[in-house]
Amino acid sequence: MKAAIGSNALARIFLVAGFGVALSAAPVSAQKQGGSITVGLELDIPGFDPLKVGVYDTSAETAAAAIFDTLVTLDDKGQPVPKLAQSWTHSDDYKTWTFKLRQGVKFHDGTPFNAEAAKANFDRQKDPANKCRCAFYIAGIHDVQAPDESTLVYNLTDPAVNFPALLTIQSSNNVIHSPTAWKTKGDDYNRNPVGTGPYILKSWTAGDRMVLEKNPDYWNKGHPYLDRIVLKPLPDAQSRFASLQSGEADIVWDDEYDADNIQKAQKDSKMTVHTYAGSGAQVYAFNTKTPPFDDVRVRQALVMAIDRKKMSQAITNGLARPASNPYGDGSWVKCKDDGALPYDIEKAKALIKDYGKPVEFKMIVTATPRGRTIGQVLQQFWKQAGANMEIEQIDQATVVPRAFMRQFQLTPWRIVDLADPDPQMYANFHTGSPVALANYSNPELDQLLEHARTTGEIDKRAENYCAVSRLVNEQAIWFWTFQNTYYAISTSKLKGLPKIYHGVIDVSDTWLE
Amino acid sequence: MLFFVARRLLYLIPVLVAVSLLTFLIASLLPGDLAYVILGDQATPEKVEALRHDMGLDQPVLWRYVSWLGHILQGDFGRSFRTGQTVLQAVTERLPVSLELMLLAEIMGLAIGVPLAIVCAARSGGAFDRFMTGSAFAMLSVPTFLSAILLIYLFAVELRWLPATGYVPFTEDPTGNLRFFVLPALTLALAEWPGIMRVLRSDMIATLQEDYIALAKAKGLTASRILFVHALKPSSLTLITITGINIGRLIGGAVIVETVFALPGIGRLLVGAIGTRDLIILQGVVLLVAVGFVVMNFIVDLLYAVLDPRIRHGHA
Repeated sequence: MKAAIGSNALARIFLVAGFGVALSAAPVSAQKQGGSITVGLELDIPGFDPLKVGVYDTSAETAAAAIFDTLVTLDDKGQPVPKLAQSWTHSDDYKTWTFKLRQGVKFHDGTPFNAEAAKANFDRQKDPANKCRCAFYIAGIHDVQAPDESTLVYNLTDPAVNFPALLTIQSSNNVIHSPTAWKTKGDDYNRNPVGTGPYILKSWTAGDRMVLEKNPDYWNKGHPYLDRIVLKPLPDAQSRFASLQSGEADIVWDDEYDADNIQKAQKDSKMTVHTYAGSGAQVYAFNTKTPPFDDVRVRQALVMAIDRKKMSQAITNGLARPASNPYGDGSWVKCKDDGALPYDIEKAKALIKDYGKPVEFKMIVTATPRGRTIGQVLQQFWKQAGANMEIEQIDQATVVPRAFMRQFQLTPWRIVDLADPDPQMYANFHTGSPVALANYSNPELDQLLEHARTTGEIDKRAENYCAVSRLVNEQAIWFWTFQNTYYAISTSKLKGLPKIYHGVIDVSDTWLE
Repeated sequence: MLFFVARRLLYLIPVLVAVSLLTFLIASLLPGDLAYVILGDQATPEKVEALRHDMGLDQPVLWRYVSWLGHILQGDFGRSFRTGQTVLQAVTERLPVSLELMLLAEIMGLAIGVPLAIVCAARSGGAFDRFMTGSAFAMLSVPTFLSAILLIYLFAVELRWLPATGYVPFTEDPTGNLRFFVLPALTLALAEWPGIMRVLRSDMIATLQEDYIALAKAKGLTASRILFVHALKPSSLTLITITGINIGRLIGGAVIVETVFALPGIGRLLVGAIGTRDLIILQGVVLLVAVGFVVMNFIVDLLYAVLDPRIRHGHA
């Protein structure tokens, strides 16, 4: 793996220096050209036009990673590195970012990729008349300018010191479509996407297979390796794994709730389990404006009553990794002291006793088998501490509006794997943000969050975020149960899969041994 | 006969109205307002209000039903808010898969059930008959999702005779297409044949008591000729009814089977629409499936009349 990445980086240096492709000189173990793989995804892909589908789920993002390119991508260490953008600079206040774009890149329809095309992508999503659901995620970008062919300028409403890293996920906001294609194809564009990516959409049967063929004119010479990628939705976890065993699929999506199969694959020499310990976590927010959660003792007691190890065993056979802060192993924020409250059932009992009044409340869970199981496990823990929790099952789609309107006592939420903590931490904890679900306001917390988004020094930022974690943990306004972990299982012949950032299985630069 | 058909068609109208009303109500009563679903993360109260107004969700339910029905009568079933596809497009893309699945399942079910029924009826009460009746009960209680996984493990993972998941259109590769359909259709057929066998068996036993069978025996006709020619047709009336009703069960089973075997049929479309709260697709597909079921049973009624003259003349 290490060697492969090394030679990959070497190839890039050759390219930049103008030596052209030197792949023939590569060692024997290097990437092999040719072949075809089948990818088993979880969900049907509804399409690619941001105006139609709004946001991509991870299945769509896997396809988007092959068909499209982003301006920036993440390297193995989680650092932003060039893709369609070759370099970038920022203003002193981190509110203006200027990208120099790669020249000579063409979309699959032959039209040129340039600053104007990138700007058109942004403008189309931002235009209020288009009512795109995707607009929510670019609210922090005021406008995009294209002063010349190869220069793209982002003007942000708020500072973002790590902005390029946020452009790396293959989301509906970040991948660059051909403006000519969406204009000429109209309604049909959704199912006939055109990008600059390493693969071109060849055919697509609804609910069945999507066939992608190698782009012979891909700007990154020597890439991609595979001739063909077939993407198939395989919604059932058991038959998805069976398809991998029987060789009909070469790599499949999976998650820790399918622990049995993951553990089976770990013991199988013919299979490789790819796993990425991401940033972020499964989290829960107390509404600190409603009793009994207006009292810090109750919140602390409930958090201290949770035995995460036992919980992980109960719901995922021990695969789920306990979280003590909102950043996770995949984040560059590493804290010596994150202020996590320890599991201490005696202390929890004492705190509740100290509170004096009976602790009774309702917790929202999603009306899914997973939601129910998690609710029941927490219910048991809290019962031991002397608190009575009632489970309120609601539809997944209703969780968001209930949270926004603060119609809850305790609600589940999620901090997703992003290359920088700022967007989510600021939204979740800064006073007045619509997602600051705890209804909690603290000038010290606000100041830390503001400082962390305006300083370029990474050590200082990490310090700020650790202080945020200590404050939130100590006040117990939110709590975290498990870190985000992403899984894919493949045949051991498949090589070169990058980290599963954001849960996206990016097979676009893989090869078969 | 024409009068009979016309009368049956007339009966169909209230049934279809009831079906459409129920479909609409169920979809509207589901938790999670469509406006919230569409707006997702941006569901601020003002935006929700505006969208509800745009979509007419602030109108009374009955009024919405009437306008929905009005559109449908003009052939407009609506459009998915997620993909922009019309319901009719989505259904026509996927219908052939489900129809092929159900047809093959029914054929397999009959191919297993009918011969077994005849053999059991011919020697009713014998060891084979008792064994098969018992097995039929056992098979009836095996859920589809379980037999599907067992078949996959046996034939795809262990023996590697057949693919576990996937699909290829018949027009592209006929043998490949059939290979993909063997396991899913067999899964459904395993749940079908017990019903077919038990119904036909008891009807056959009754028929074999009739005087004309005794006459046929006396005339020296061979046992197989008596069973297949003289006894089968008069015994198959209940079987035909069952076949009609089975279509409903097959549709239900197809939802599971299509998901497990990753077949791109109507069942998957339905599951997907539920998962993503695509209520417009959901309503449209449920309505079309329900209408299909009603029409199939109408055809079964007609077949019944063809087989039994007493019915078409209204003496039954």
